[in-house]
Amino acid sequence: MSYIEIRGLSKRFGNNVVLDQVDLDIEKGDVIALIGPSGTGKSTLLRCLNLLERPESGTVRIDGKTYDLTTHSSKEINELRRHTEMVFQQFNLFKQKNALQNVMEGLTVVKRLDEKTAKEIALRHLIKVGMADRLFHYPRHLSGGQQQRVAIARALAMDPLLLLMDEPTSALDPELVGEVLQTVRSAAQDGNTILLVTHEMPFVRSVAKRILFLENGKIVADGSAAEIFENPSNERLRRFLDNINMLDM
Amino acid sequence: MANLFDVKLVFSEIPSLLRYLPTTLWLTLVALLIGLALGLLIALIRIKKIPVLTQLSIAFVSLIRGTPIIVQLYISYFGIPIALKYINYYNGTDYDVNAIPGIVFAMAALGLNQAAFDSETIRSAIQSVEPGQIDAARSMGMTGFQVLRRVIIPQAGSVALLPLGNSVISLIKGTSLAFTCSVVEITAAGKILAGRNYRYFEVYCSLAIIYWVITFLLERLIKWLETLVTVPENAPELDSQGNLHIRRGKREKVIPASTLGLEAYLPADRPGNGGAV
Repeated sequence: MSYIEIRGLSKRFGNNVVLDQVDLDIEKGDVIALIGPSGTGKSTLLRCLNLLERPESGTVRIDGKTYDLTTHSSKEINELRRHTEMVFQQFNLFKQKNALQNVMEGLTVVKRLDEKTAKEIALRHLIKVGMADRLFHYPRHLSGGQQQRVAIARALAMDPLLLLMDEPTSALDPELVGEVLQTVRSAAQDGNTILLVTHEMPFVRSVAKRILFLENGKIVADGSAAEIFENPSNERLRRFLDNINMLDM
Repeated sequence: MANLFDVKLVFSEIPSLLRYLPTTLWLTLVALLIGLALGLLIALIRIKKIPVLTQLSIAFVSLIRGTPIIVQLYISYFGIPIALKYINYYNGTDYDVNAIPGIVFAMAALGLNQAAFDSETIRSAIQSVEPGQIDAARSMGMTGFQVLRRVIIPQAGSVALLPLGNSVISLIKGTSLAFTCSVVEITAAGKILAGRNYRYFEVYCSLAIIYWVITFLLERLIKWLETLVTVPENAPELDSQGNLHIRRGKREKVIPASTLGLEAYLPADRPGNGGAV
């Protein structure tokens, strides 16, 4: 039995089928990259897993419990959301709160930890992402890269079973991409289980233990970096990699 | 000609008018609270597009905004007793209309009036909160109420503060119409006072001074609240002793290191320690 089991996940927007009966098993400590052409449902897959989008069908088995993703029980929804944490393309930090408060927010409000414990955990994670000298800066005082590092600290502080990262570097200026990728790399090395949507192929190649190629709502290729990049068996995957000049790397 | 305008009287009448100031302030406070609570409720109904309630809210807001306050006060003053009589008649109850003081009718009318105007301010303020931040809060596992209390209200509140301040200022002046519900607040008291010596002009000058002073104080209060809810322009700085300096405009707030309680967790040689960060 796998650590996390996703079964029969389907999502459509109107007549457009974005995810078509997706099955996926994730092992503890897996760092999985989701790649594929735009509009193939990569972000939607992530957003369905913590129910920011409601799928038409699908179940997730996590922490020994099976959740129906179409449930209307807010108790189950919030329970599932507490197992997963999301890092967004646009960072989505709380604007009225400083870096420390942003990281403490979930710990005090959702996990109901006392102020002292929450501060201790938040500081540990902020130091880890290299933001110890900007604890009291508000999002407006931080660069995009710094905001994203705080957002990663905020997600990791909640100690999720699965970390979902939705194009964490796509909204950044090129010179800020490196610091965020470094943070993601270190989160991966710490043994976190990560499902990552990204277009940073060299990064995927060096960090992801497993790569999924998603097209037209289906996982059409699934393998290690070597299998995906060096010996793409699937014709559509080959064309995709060719288009983004990854075949000859 | 010397006695046409008695300047001394303008000031000497102020103390007797001020005896009725508590009525004015009490009326304002209750109407304000009704306005904010009901306004928030209407705003949420309209944002969530709850069927039936949305249509009722739209009709309510349109009706209130489309009629003068004085008409609403009269409708409340005459309408509520009629409604009570119907209730008594059909349910066999025995509620006594005369037991209700006039100020309740005025509170109801002014409160509903505020709710209609505030609901639009609150609605636009809530819609100005980035959906991404709401996503972030929800994905952490916050309940709908927690998202509202921790994320939406603090941000929407800072956006809505100034227009809501405007609306409170007009409410205070709106209370001067409460005489229609036989409430004696400062304006009504002034009329009664002037009726005795026919010094209407002097009394209205006194009233103008009182209202102006109240709204001036209120403006200062709103200004102060604004500095509280606004994110400071420059990043707060830690000094070498570990005290935090937060500057907002000319004001500086210092949070002592002992209150921050960081020293136990941060290594002494952390970056930025021992100097301005």
